[in-house]
Amino acid sequence: MPQIKIYQEDHIPSPMSRIWSAFTDNPFAFAGLWAVCCLLLLALFGPLIAPYSAEHQDPLALLLAPSWEPTGTVEHFLGTDDLGRDIFSRLLHGAHLTFGMALAIVITALLLGFIIGSISGMMKGLKSSILSHLLDALLSIPSLLMAILVVAVTGPGLGNVFWAVGIALTPQFVRAIHQAVHEELQKEYVTAAKLDGANSLQIFWYVILPNIMDTMIIQTTLGISAAILDIAALGFLNLGAQAPSPEWGAMVSQGLDNLLTAPWTVTIPGVAILCSVLAINLVGDGLRSALSPIRS
Amino acid sequence: MARYLIRRLNLFLATSLVLFLVMFIATGKFPVEHTFALTGLQSPTSQELAQIEQDYQLDSSQAHQFFAYLQQRLSGNLGISATSQNPVIDELTAVLPASFELGIVAGLIALVLGLPLGVLASLSKHKITQHTIMAITLTGYSIPVFWLGLSLSLWFGVQLGWLPISGQINLLYDIRPVTGFLLIDTLLSDSQYATSAFIDALLHIILPAVTLAVLPFTVVVRITRAAMISIMEQTYIKAAEARGLHTSVIVLRHALPNAFIPVLKNLGLMLGAFASYAMVVEVIFSWPGVGAWLVSGIYQRDYTVIQGGILAVALIIIFLSILIEVIHTAMNPLSRKELYAAN
Repeated sequence: MPQIKIYQEDHIPSPMSRIWSAFTDNPFAFAGLWAVCCLLLLALFGPLIAPYSAEHQDPLALLLAPSWEPTGTVEHFLGTDDLGRDIFSRLLHGAHLTFGMALAIVITALLLGFIIGSISGMMKGLKSSILSHLLDALLSIPSLLMAILVVAVTGPGLGNVFWAVGIALTPQFVRAIHQAVHEELQKEYVTAAKLDGANSLQIFWYVILPNIMDTMIIQTTLGISAAILDIAALGFLNLGAQAPSPEWGAMVSQGLDNLLTAPWTVTIPGVAILCSVLAINLVGDGLRSALSPIRS
Repeated sequence: MARYLIRRLNLFLATSLVLFLVMFIATGKFPVEHTFALTGLQSPTSQELAQIEQDYQLDSSQAHQFFAYLQQRLSGNLGISATSQNPVIDELTAVLPASFELGIVAGLIALVLGLPLGVLASLSKHKITQHTIMAITLTGYSIPVFWLGLSLSLWFGVQLGWLPISGQINLLYDIRPVTGFLLIDTLLSDSQYATSAFIDALLHIILPAVTLAVLPFTVVVRITRAAMISIMEQTYIKAAEARGLHTSVIVLRHALPNAFIPVLKNLGLMLGAFASYAMVVEVIFSWPGVGAWLVSGIYQRDYTVIQGGILAVALIIIFLSILIEVIHTAMNPLSRKELYAAN
């Protein structure tokens, strides 16, 4: 039944609902959002639903193929590795190491980047230039080199990955937020607010902040996917998570010895990383195109 | 323009100084004897110890120590490697060309394939073609590089047996290094096996270069597509169409040079990620480049190698990104206008 229109005025959607409807118009982005929500749930509750513990070794089921292979059994849904550990359970246990760690790193980097970037963006001249360029030197050290440096100072381990990837990510946030604030400051509506007598704190909080939100959101999604790939790469190189840990990149490197006889020990964690990064990038892409009519 | 160049040079020097400062602080924090971290001498004699103290001014203030450190490093004294006992600078110059070779080949593959594909994606009106290209690039952007390298070597190297999966060349060929770039050296070499050595080197570079090219390729396709779509809407393209020019002429002469500008800018921004990926690729394919050298250096806790490698790679990245920025400004009249307005 068609809705009866009583009032003459059209319903004017708020900016948020316009972004939401533009976002949901893209089915891929929406699928990505569902996948990210599932990942979040897995990162939180994964260990609870895992059939085995991450270190449980089943000596009767070494290098068992995944269940869809003729030799596989359904007890070990994604097969087992060379110590008889259930890969499915390890993936679930690893979700909060890889994905949760990436989230923690990005949130920390976002907070730091927000503080430094907005202060340096609001300031003018030499001070602003020093603050923003100071971190450009760090920006030029690739994340992997930064990780090598951190590992050289403190030794390998998952905790040091936090610092390594965090130090490598923070300058990107600082730069993005600095540039966004700087660009908004040049615009006329900021001048109008200034003429109205707003002090710089008010200008930043009420005038500029709502307009740099989209940059921050996009940068955050980019940061999460970069952080997952970095954590996994470090785990793979044995510089991050160490051997028995079910971190996904470390799982790939642990499966490396059996690459020829049991390729699934490498393929399945790799597919897990690929899918989670892909889901985040889909959401990021969808957000970017949903926000772009407002941005341009 | 001169003023702009001086400002960029200034930025390069300042950034490098900060980099050296970071390295100086990190060197002090390495969990070994300070003299060992600085020089790589495991158990120096008292004479060497005195020399080290004098070179690095270990008994003066931190600021003096930093300038002594800067002086030593800039004069090419990177210490000796603790594992091989060779000077780090020699090892570094031996491994750098291989990395450059891999990077250049991968970059060329990405540009040569990515630019046309990006243009095609922007011109095609088919939803399916567009979606396919975007899906492929998004997947390529999300794929973990170590896993891609392993899968490619498993498939093309082991199961199909088409391509070699480790090293730079078959060790049977004895090629005298001239430029360090093996593809050029094999051509320059006067041995009777020069051609087959060249083909062998070419076969060896395919898998690592393709693995490394995936990331820049996807970025180039996406940026080219986005830039082309917005450029094809411009009025000067409509004017060219109205003059009756052929589509290929419009694209090649009028649109592509303008679409290349944002691609160049993003290539500069991507350098850090590209270097990280290159290191992982070098480790997987045992490519004798600076990345594999650095990673083996960290496994052996070879602190002078770590320092030298990080300094060299980071300096190269700083230099290249500033160079790309300068080229970008020189190519793009619009950003030049901004430049003069700012001054």
